[in-house]
Amino acid sequence: MHGVSDAARAALSVEETLRRVAGGDRGALRALYDAEAPRMLGVALRILRRRALAEEAVQDAFVQVWRNAGSFDPARGTGRAFLYAVLRYRALNILRAEARTDLNDAADHDVASEEEGPDAVVARLSEARALRRCLDGLDPHRRNAIVLAYAHGLSHGELAGRLGLPLGTVKSWLRRSLLALRECMS
Amino acid sequence: MTPAERDALAAEHALGLLEGAEAVRAARLAETDTDFAASVEAWRARLAEIDETATAVPAGDALWHRIEQRLGGEVHAARQHAALTERWLAVWNSLGFWRGAGLAAGAACLALAAGLFVLAARQPAPVLVAALLTDDNRVAAIVNIGADGRANLIPLADLPVPSGRVLEVWTLWDRARGPVSVGLSQRAQRLDLKVDDLPRAVPDQLFEITLEPAGGSPTGRPTGQILMKGVTARAL
Repeated sequence: MHGVSDAARAALSVEETLRRVAGGDRGALRALYDAEAPRMLGVALRILRRRALAEEAVQDAFVQVWRNAGSFDPARGTGRAFLYAVLRYRALNILRAEARTDLNDAADHDVASEEEGPDAVVARLSEARALRRCLDGLDPHRRNAIVLAYAHGLSHGELAGRLGLPLGTVKSWLRRSLLALRECMS
Repeated sequence: MTPAERDALAAEHALGLLEGAEAVRAARLAETDTDFAASVEAWRARLAEIDETATAVPAGDALWHRIEQRLGGEVHAARQHAALTERWLAVWNSLGFWRGAGLAAGAACLALAAGLFVLAARQPAPVLVAALLTDDNRVAAIVNIGADGRANLIPLADLPVPSGRVLEVWTLWDRARGPVSVGLSQRAQRLDLKVDDLPRAVPDQLFEITLEPAGGSPTGRPTGQILMKGVTARAL
């Protein structure tokens, strides 16, 4: 497809692929899709829990990447970080919009009960890496709050509801947890 | 804000915890403050491994075809009529755009003439032009967007700016996100617009100028009187 073999496409780094996308190379966008869309769909599904919504987020993300790959600056972060930031931004927007309309509350709860817990997410992190070490070093409630917020897109309000704590308490408590995490990882 | 508070805000922004006014404030800081943007990037990098723990789900060709369909024949940075019609309608409805008077034919001609004049006068030629009209349908400024995505504003009429106030330029490219500030100026003058961190401008994208307190809108959203507004059109 597009004159580039599968093997050659797989070998391209995300950064190089984004550079080509910025130049208007639709084949490069497809290569990015082949390489990253399955993981992106997994990330979106964890946040949105419904396949149709997760697909919408991935679709939006690729449209955005096509239009904005030129704004990716390798000096500021990795290509993958750029890609997932776009995806998470779209997924969270959809999540917050859905929460407002709240059409499928009951259905959501069914899926929610099957959701992968924060412990399972942490267990999948490499023990050799700082993030795992530092999360393990946090009090389990703090660790869970950070992971729930990131992996499942919980807002301050939702975390407060889940933890049964006042919103202000959760905010300041999570801030301290995040700063402790940064300290540990630095 | 102390450095710790700023970094905590960057973390909350990277995680996506913020809602409402706080979310708007953080998004604005990420666009206008390079230190803050760097903090956000650092947080993304710290937490990126969590994304890697998500189970990959086969995405399939059908989803790709939908993406392709949405992009249509869109050449990089270009046109997307379906999405745009929707966005345009949203602007139309939500902002009461072109409310009342409508667009007088004379003003449209003037806008076109002004656009063409600016087109001819500038190098490189813009790919998109927006003529910003005042309430009484006078063209008061032109926004040019080049093929490289750079945008600038050229005033065509002097604007009285009361002391302690500034002109703030906004664009609306995503209704969910709301208007984004792309420039501040003490007076009507040529201005390079800060659109680097935004998606490339598209046809029918709204630009407007409001009068704001010195230093720009305190809320990150337009708060003052709208002096002029207009949407981009493709330059031929």
